[in-house]
Amino acid sequence: MNTLAIRANRRKLLILLALVLLCAIGYMLLDVNFSNPKLLAYAMKIRTPKLIVMLITAFAIGGASIVFQSIINNTIVTPCLLGMNSLYTLIHTAVVFFLGSASVVAINANLSFAVDVVLMGIVATVIYSWIFKKTKHNVLYVLLVGTVLTSFFGSIQTTLTRVMDPNEYDSLLNTLVASFNNINSEIILFSLVLLIGIVVVLRKELALLDVLTLGKHQAINLGVDYDRCIRRLLLGVTLCIAVATAMVGPISFLGLIIANLSRQFFKTFRHSQLVVGSALFGMIVLVGGQLIVEHIYTYSVPISVFITVGGGLYFLYLLLTRKKV
Amino acid sequence: MMKIQELTKQYDGKTVVDGVTFTIPKGKVISLIGPNGAGKSTVMGMISRLIAHDSGLVHFEGKDIGKWKSKELSKRLAILTQSNNIQMKLTVRELVTFGRFPYSGNRITSEDESIINQAIAYMELEEFQDRFIDELSGGQRQRALIAMVIAQDTEYVLLDEPTNNLDIYHATNMMKTVRRLCDELGKTVILVLHEINYAAFYSDYICAFKDGKIAKFGTVEEVITKENLSEIYQVDFEILTIAGKPLSIYY
Repeated sequence: MNTLAIRANRRKLLILLALVLLCAIGYMLLDVNFSNPKLLAYAMKIRTPKLIVMLITAFAIGGASIVFQSIINNTIVTPCLLGMNSLYTLIHTAVVFFLGSASVVAINANLSFAVDVVLMGIVATVIYSWIFKKTKHNVLYVLLVGTVLTSFFGSIQTTLTRVMDPNEYDSLLNTLVASFNNINSEIILFSLVLLIGIVVVLRKELALLDVLTLGKHQAINLGVDYDRCIRRLLLGVTLCIAVATAMVGPISFLGLIIANLSRQFFKTFRHSQLVVGSALFGMIVLVGGQLIVEHIYTYSVPISVFITVGGGLYFLYLLLTRKKV
Repeated sequence: MMKIQELTKQYDGKTVVDGVTFTIPKGKVISLIGPNGAGKSTVMGMISRLIAHDSGLVHFEGKDIGKWKSKELSKRLAILTQSNNIQMKLTVRELVTFGRFPYSGNRITSEDESIINQAIAYMELEEFQDRFIDELSGGQRQRALIAMVIAQDTEYVLLDEPTNNLDIYHATNMMKTVRRLCDELGKTVILVLHEINYAAFYSDYICAFKDGKIAKFGTVEEVITKENLSEIYQVDFEILTIAGKPLSIYY
């Protein structure tokens, strides 16, 4: 039965992969004028970076959400719900605010991103591991503190932009309100390298995820260096969220949707399948969603609206159908 | 052998474990008893590295417990606590398989498979092995967790209130299992127990705690006396001898 379930899940993964490919091909080729090579090249030039950004984002958010849920041992929290993307927006604003939009850091997209990522890694790991310790991993407290933090970071960020020089704000806005129609494609290479680096550096900890979900005491009993492992994984999560937020802006509910879809679809504890599944679901939602937005709604409704509305409903559904939080 | 010297723990300035010193004999069943808040679970946590101690020494098999590599220690010492809320969809067999994690990680060998099969058979869980643990009764889940500990194959087994929330049938069976772990598999079993009579009937040694200190430590006959228990629990006791074991009655 065991091996049967594993094999069935492999087949499910292949189906998801096929769907991703279908969405990607559809996204690249729909409504393209093949007869005119110049138009074709133009369409490709616009669509290729967008597709790559969506795939990277889906992987970053999908992976980070599953890992984060397993760290805190609860399936209804995601890093975005706890304000990690607000924190990133705040850090980005603060860097421009204190260094000025004409500084080297603010002008070079890659350098600016690097500074943001380093700050984010330090600040978020300190804040969130402190919250976890202080609340003794009590999910309701964590969720409450996280919600407060989200508006707290948001308020500071708004205050900073209000006292800012209007010209500075103007240049900040360009990089700040990234969305799927205005992606930040300058940092694709950097992000890709960063994500691969995270996976390689954390490969040992990622292999421990299955054991971590047995709870702190069992994990220690089975020989896991618990605190260190959680710290490193948390750092990886914050960096993934930083990458996603920098490229497409905050999308709060995406992680919740795809992580839980993956858990419901695969019904397993094996994280190798859950993480990949979650990333693939993310790709389908983003690429497929963007396909619909561009061709059916002709850009009148941004994809984040769909994700927020759908995600909100899904969140309520998860809360109401669970026996206990 | 496990030697505990001057173990101390404070929470918020309040001393909950105060200078505890005793030696755990190998190959025996040792029960830690005492009233609520006497510090027995905290001592259990400290000797199993789940809780950090403030001062004192836990000497385990020739080395301080903090100097052991966590992975090596998990092949020698297993602990089962009361907090086992596993959120994942996990079958009994998959849970027992985790017991082999310290040895083989995520790659299970055929030798591991046979040890897992033995552990499942030992706890008579064959018919449940493909059931999800959140669908089991409390007694069955407890047996599954014990099977995992057996699969972990350690010399020392630490159980924190294993009879908690079990009815007398399952609790008695649990205690018989504890006895078998010691007699048949040669393990040293250390328990935290609330039921004095279970401790008296199934252990070799008893360590009684009061106010963070050891009130009495010795064989069952030495510790379970009218005077000792009355002093520790502040309740009137009568001791009867049944089947050669001291049975306590309190009212």
